[in-house]
Amino acid sequence: MANILVVDDALFMRATLKKLLTDAGFQVVGEAENGQIAVQRYQELRPDLVMMDITMPEMDGLAALREIKKVDAGARVIMCTALGQESSVRDALSSGAKDYIVKPFKADKVIEAVKKAIPTS
Amino acid sequence: MKAEFINPFVTAGIEVLEMVISSRPEPGQLAVRSATFTTQQISIVIGVTGDVEGQAVYGMSLVTATKIAAAMSNTPPMTFDEMASSAIAELGNMISGNATTRLSEASYQCQITPPTLVRGADVEISTAIPALVVPLYTDFGKMEINVALRERRRDGAAG
Repeated sequence: MANILVVDDALFMRATLKKLLTDAGFQVVGEAENGQIAVQRYQELRPDLVMMDITMPEMDGLAALREIKKVDAGARVIMCTALGQESSVRDALSSGAKDYIVKPFKADKVIEAVKKAIPTS
Repeated sequence: MKAEFINPFVTAGIEVLEMVISSRPEPGQLAVRSATFTTQQISIVIGVTGDVEGQAVYGMSLVTATKIAAAMSNTPPMTFDEMASSAIAELGNMISGNATTRLSEASYQCQITPPTLVRGADVEISTAIPALVVPLYTDFGKMEINVALRERRRDGAAG
């Protein structure tokens, strides 16, 4: 069972993603409400995958993605954000994100992206 | 404020609301609001920075906010608790994110700040410039989209 860290400043979105992922058979091993905490939690938990928001206080998701990649070049991160502009998508993918999901999302799109990012699950 | 700046927010509002509450809202008449205005019972305030800058404020009644939050969570409407507040703030974030994507397609590159939820009617909000306002009528009541944006000049001064 794949372990997932959910990062979003919105309690509602963390709860929504947690339910969706758990119902699909994944295990949410941790949550973080900003990028700084996400980097700490990543080092502690070493999850198989991170679902990462972009617009967050303290440290945004793109900065957190780069920090996580410094810690673990093989880290799998899917961006899950309300920002859909090309420049953000380009930034995220060039920084090593596995995929990019724009909110509001459909549940099956999220599960499909997660399964694609973790091929062994 | 250029009228073209509010259109992406209205379109985004209609599309995001349709997706999260499963019914398409109808837009009402465009109006201008002075730079200082009072809030409805629930307001989500989001800052916009970049090629255009200012604020987007989404206002609605407590009843409407509670019903929309319940629809987003797929639960019956109860009280407007922490989870409901977070859902409504996230609604503002999704509309604003979608709107800035549309602005980027018109060559205005912008970022948004995390949402701030203001609870309480008659709270004064001041924006740098008068806002354009469009109400969206949903099955759960009215949500007003207030957008006060101005183009940022190349030399860095706002205008």
